[in-house]
Amino acid sequence: MLMASEIVEDCASHDPLLDIDSSDSSSAVRSDEYLELQFRVFRLTFLLTFFSVGLSGFFWGIQVSASLLFGALSGILYFRLLARGIGKLGTTSKMVGKVQLLVPVVLVLTSSRFPQLDLIPALLGFLLYKPALIIQFLSMP
Amino acid sequence: MDSITTAASVVAAGLAVGLGAIGPGIGQGSAAQGAVEGIARQPEAEGKIRGTLLLSFAFMESLTIYGLVVALVLLFANPFAG
Repeated sequence: MLMASEIVEDCASHDPLLDIDSSDSSSAVRSDEYLELQFRVFRLTFLLTFFSVGLSGFFWGIQVSASLLFGALSGILYFRLLARGIGKLGTTSKMVGKVQLLVPVVLVLTSSRFPQLDLIPALLGFLLYKPALIIQFLSMP
Repeated sequence: MDSITTAASVVAAGLAVGLGAIGPGIGQGSAAQGAVEGIARQPEAEGKIRGTLLLSFAFMESLTIYGLVVALVLLFANPFAG
């Protein structure tokens, strides 16, 4: 014969509504899934950046390569800010922030002000996160 | 840069940002609404919904960024400045 505490414990282990710990852990799993997606995109973007910076440095020189690297890092920062805004949506914020749009503005202004940077490679580098997104989107089940 | 080119560039920059932001703005609003509703209905799918929302936001917002870049190039690195 089961004791009352054992019955309650048994119910709590099967009913997610009664199980506070399991709700916390499933929430952690859900945010882990989101973090994992971000890390996959970041990994792919860094990989693409590495290859494209190397190839552009080999074919077009160090200035184009530096501009591409600057743009790619800006793109990663933009994507990080966007991911943070979406992560806050529905929990601490009711809308997705627009702070990330400042990143391309600063990128274009910096590229047009400094003669060491080229505008077109910087913009192309900024868009390097898009192939990573497309690959990630296609590889999603 | 003569005054007509300057005026045309400023008007074109405003139109590029303004018109370019309408479509993505509407799309992002409806996507965020659907995602929040989906998370409220199915909290166990929150990670997947947020991930899909992130990808779709990145694609939608790039349209705004294209308009923004065109506007900034017209204002600060104008190729027609001669």
